[in-house]
Amino acid sequence: MIYLAIGFPPAAKSCAYRMRETANQFVRQGWDVTVVTIAQESWERDSGVDLTLLEQVDPRVRIVELPLSREDLETDIGLYSEERALNPNGWVTRLRRRQMEPFPEPNFGDWRGDLEQAVLKVHAEQPADLLLASCVPYVNLAAAWKLWEEAKVPYAVDFRDGWSIDVIEGVECFARDSAEGIWEQRILDHAVSLWVVNDPIAEHYRTRYPEFADRVHVVRNGYDADSSPGRVHRPDTGAGLAFGYLGTVNFTVPHLETVLDAWRAAREREPLLANATFEVRGHIGNGSGREANRHAEVLKQAEPDGVRFGGPAAKAEVASIYARWDAMVLILIGGRYVTSGKVYEYMATGLPIVSAHVVEHDASNVLDGHPLWTGAPGLDVAGLTESFVRAAHMAVETSDEVHAEAMAHADRFTREAVMSVAVKTLIDDHAALHRDSAGDAAALADTQPAAGGPSQ
Amino acid sequence: MTNVLFIASTKPQMGVFADSVRKFQALGAATYLGGVFHLPSVAELGTTPLTETHQLPRNLNTRSAALRRKARKAPGGMKVWLQARGDSWLRRQARHADVLVALDPGAVYTVWRLAQYYRVEEAHFGIAPALKAVERVKQRGTSGTRAALPPLDIVKANARRAMDGLPAAVMRHATARPVMRSAVGAKLWRTAVQVPGVPPRVRVATSRYVAEGMQWAGRTSGASLTLAAAASRIPDLTTRAGLLDEAAMNELAKGISPRDMDKTVAARLAETDAEFAREDHVKASAALDRALTLAFHRVLHIDQLSSPLAEDAAGFTAPLYRSPSMRALARPQGRRTPYAEPPKDRPLRLLVTTSANDNFLRHILARYGKHQDVELRYLDLAAQRSLKRIAWAGRRVLEDRLSGGTSTYQEEVERLMRPYLDWADTVFLDWSVGPAAMLTTIDPGTTRIIVRLHSYEAFTRWPHMTDFSRIDDLVYVAPHVRDLVESLVPQLREDTAPRTHLVDNAMDLTGFGRPKPADARFNLGLVGVSQVAKDPLWAVEVLRRVREHDERYRLLLVGGDMNPKTSMATRVYRRAMEAQLKPLVQEGVVLRLGPTDDVPSALTDIGVILSSSVREGCHVGLMEGAASAAVPVSRDWPFYAGKPNSARTLYPQGWVVGSVEEAAKRILETTATEEAWRDAGKLAADHALSTWDWPVVSRAFDELFLGDR
Repeated sequence: MIYLAIGFPPAAKSCAYRMRETANQFVRQGWDVTVVTIAQESWERDSGVDLTLLEQVDPRVRIVELPLSREDLETDIGLYSEERALNPNGWVTRLRRRQMEPFPEPNFGDWRGDLEQAVLKVHAEQPADLLLASCVPYVNLAAAWKLWEEAKVPYAVDFRDGWSIDVIEGVECFARDSAEGIWEQRILDHAVSLWVVNDPIAEHYRTRYPEFADRVHVVRNGYDADSSPGRVHRPDTGAGLAFGYLGTVNFTVPHLETVLDAWRAAREREPLLANATFEVRGHIGNGSGREANRHAEVLKQAEPDGVRFGGPAAKAEVASIYARWDAMVLILIGGRYVTSGKVYEYMATGLPIVSAHVVEHDASNVLDGHPLWTGAPGLDVAGLTESFVRAAHMAVETSDEVHAEAMAHADRFTREAVMSVAVKTLIDDHAALHRDSAGDAAALADTQPAAGGPSQ
Repeated sequence: MTNVLFIASTKPQMGVFADSVRKFQALGAATYLGGVFHLPSVAELGTTPLTETHQLPRNLNTRSAALRRKARKAPGGMKVWLQARGDSWLRRQARHADVLVALDPGAVYTVWRLAQYYRVEEAHFGIAPALKAVERVKQRGTSGTRAALPPLDIVKANARRAMDGLPAAVMRHATARPVMRSAVGAKLWRTAVQVPGVPPRVRVATSRYVAEGMQWAGRTSGASLTLAAAASRIPDLTTRAGLLDEAAMNELAKGISPRDMDKTVAARLAETDAEFAREDHVKASAALDRALTLAFHRVLHIDQLSSPLAEDAAGFTAPLYRSPSMRALARPQGRRTPYAEPPKDRPLRLLVTTSANDNFLRHILARYGKHQDVELRYLDLAAQRSLKRIAWAGRRVLEDRLSGGTSTYQEEVERLMRPYLDWADTVFLDWSVGPAAMLTTIDPGTTRIIVRLHSYEAFTRWPHMTDFSRIDDLVYVAPHVRDLVESLVPQLREDTAPRTHLVDNAMDLTGFGRPKPADARFNLGLVGVSQVAKDPLWAVEVLRRVREHDERYRLLLVGGDMNPKTSMATRVYRRAMEAQLKPLVQEGVVLRLGPTDDVPSALTDIGVILSSSVREGCHVGLMEGAASAAVPVSRDWPFYAGKPNSARTLYPQGWVVGSVEEAAKRILETTATEEAWRDAGKLAADHALSTWDWPVVSRAFDELFLGDR
């Protein structure tokens, strides 16, 4: 199996966990897996590298790293042309326009040729039976298509968040007759299977491509069992309750400010929160703005309110970080089309969860029924203040049984459970396809006169 | 020691920057910051452990006009470089730097030039990569063997750049400030740019130098005259329109109504029509966008006490609509089918939408949010990036209309707005501006479209870019606004025009009825003074008149002041207003109460409520004042005075006055005794509550949205 997985470990990206588990599951089911991704150094200027992520990659997985990188994120001014130096933002805008020519995707479109050649080369070295393309970037689809055209290697697509739907704003991203629309249609017409992370996105695809509806599967993100602290929690109110957010800081500055305003108000109002802390861990910004953008500044300014930005966390640290915290702050962008992997991991901690996202959000569906969820009041300072206060009380007043119940709420979402089913289903679909085409070939042979046989 | 030189064109994020400097220090680096932003105003720099900070030149004010022009036309990075390049501190630090760091996009070019000239290997954009660079430098050790001279090719490139500036230097001397200050010199040059036989390219360049020299010498109108004079000799439509446009914008930027505005708009329209005839819709729409932007510029219509548009609406728009492109723009596309009556077995699906300004929607949203016959959704087009982008895309709307609906804009609007139209039975769009132009780009299907036009919109270009044949109902807040808009927009006089309704703004007036102290009788009040159109100086005149009779009268100004940054015209008015108010405020005769969220409380001290505006749709401040039992005195708003509908037809007989004298007379009469004042106030309150209070007005909205449901 060729697995186009740009973001595979050691990339410090949230998709790395899903990719790692997918590859491992295929190996466990007896497949030879070759992952195609980009060089480690390229992640340095993007969201960074976490080498601990590699520890749990099955050693039988073969990794091919391509020397590709995002030109827009280049920070070495010595490599800039004069035109770029004069107007860095304008130059990047023009670059993105150029990148859209080979394939309609800014930042990545010009990787098309290299990716196509790479999969052809991997296939030539070790013929593949299946290709799985994980997007983003969508330019992977061009490589999947190339291998299909040249060698008829069946392929499946893991869209995660979907392409033709803008999950943040909940609207269609492009029309069917646009360049992107034509690519999506062409790819899905022949795909063995399409994975997406939640029901609303699946529904979008089933509605947009009714003839393809039965091949759309919801493969939720789930969480890694080893990221969970896995024990009943004992808060230390004397030292101050610890609230935490762990994940990429991808929300807007006003969104962050709303959360911090509510945090401040709750600290003033609730004695339990008077000496509480709120720690933010994860990646902030990329390229020249890495850890030096407006978000970082807003967090810095909030330090007198017990807020601290602790930088990115290595995967291996995650469980111990959660173990230090008494409540989770779930800050999410988007709405009903967004679930985010964080929600599962947060649930598995068994800690109270403050939801800082819009009311109509897929995370609300996942959290519904969780005994230590404060509910989603929307992005409203008063409502969020109330949530922080409730979470503080939950953190100190909840019994061990309820903590256990909260952790159990997440059980069905361990990544292993989710991905093993998904991979098995894909393998079955692939096998069925193989049987069908073999059957077709046999049927075809039956109806045609034998040619080239021994002479009578 | 590793030397790190930071360059910043704007104030860095100081918290993060200070932390980072500590990290550089921990790695043993000396840190230097050179900035073209105002360093002394950044207090945090004092506590940031930088080795040294240095103020680089903040502007080019003392430099040549040619250099300033070059900077104005070049990307931002060039401007920073032109400011900084001669600074000896910068050159010295760059010579010794091991790592150069640009902290923002504007600083990248300066770092790029310095890195090339001084052969600095580690030149980076952003703090995180610079930290890694310091680690690298430490690992390999600072060489200290950097060549003393810059590379030869770099020297050559720099010399070539300097050569480009030579003719500019010559022109600079010939058009220097002393020459242009003298009337003779200025006139000479104005004549010179019209000399026949000069190639257009040279004429354009010369006229720009001359204009710039004049502007530098304080001759704004002279500069515009020069550009216009040169334009008259240029045959190419686009170049001519461009020069006239520059001339007009020079004056508008100074708050002056350009004397050649008609000619300028006509030139842009001629350019539009030529491109339209060639079927180059991109260029045609760009030119038309300029024509309309100029014709409806706020300096002409909004920031002054009169407007050519209000004086003679039909005469103002007639030349515009003589253009074939404008007629193509105004061609009604109509809707494919009439809107469908919503099913009676479920609540009406009502989408209320606006772009950010929801000032007049609060009561509507509250009422229909809990109305059993309505399922309400609210959409703020400014809150979503993708929608905001299409909601104010004037040039793209024009391109779509001129190309007969074949642009990509229509497809984008279709994709983003169709889901909302599919859901809604009725759309209520507040403010007939950009979003109305956007929404009417596509056929509304079976959805009913209602748009409300307040007053401000009449003075903008948007109604001319809106296809009213795709709107079913157009709601006005006052008849005089309807008259004006209908006389301006030809589409609204055709058979395809929408039904019109007059519905007052939604106001909850019940909370305004609070007891007033006896001495409030002598307090005149004006609520809302944030725009030139409110003309508070008229109220000051009224105050002067009544004080001639009784010195107990005072004037209370409620609300935020007009922002002088809005436009030069606003600044000019504000300056005049401050000059007049200063002694009155000192005397305690005028009280400036500033902005408040609690207007009912502010009104308890006001005995006479004024409307001094030159134009209003309906003056909410006056109506709320009346509801509080203050005696209303409204100026006969000059934009509408004498027309069939005006303040006189909107308000009861007696409230409206034709002059400052009449206003003073009414005030003196109605406040002659406490009893007379309280009686007049009560009558006003009764009228306000029985006419404009929300329980009354909401019936009109029920009728509009729900009909006989």
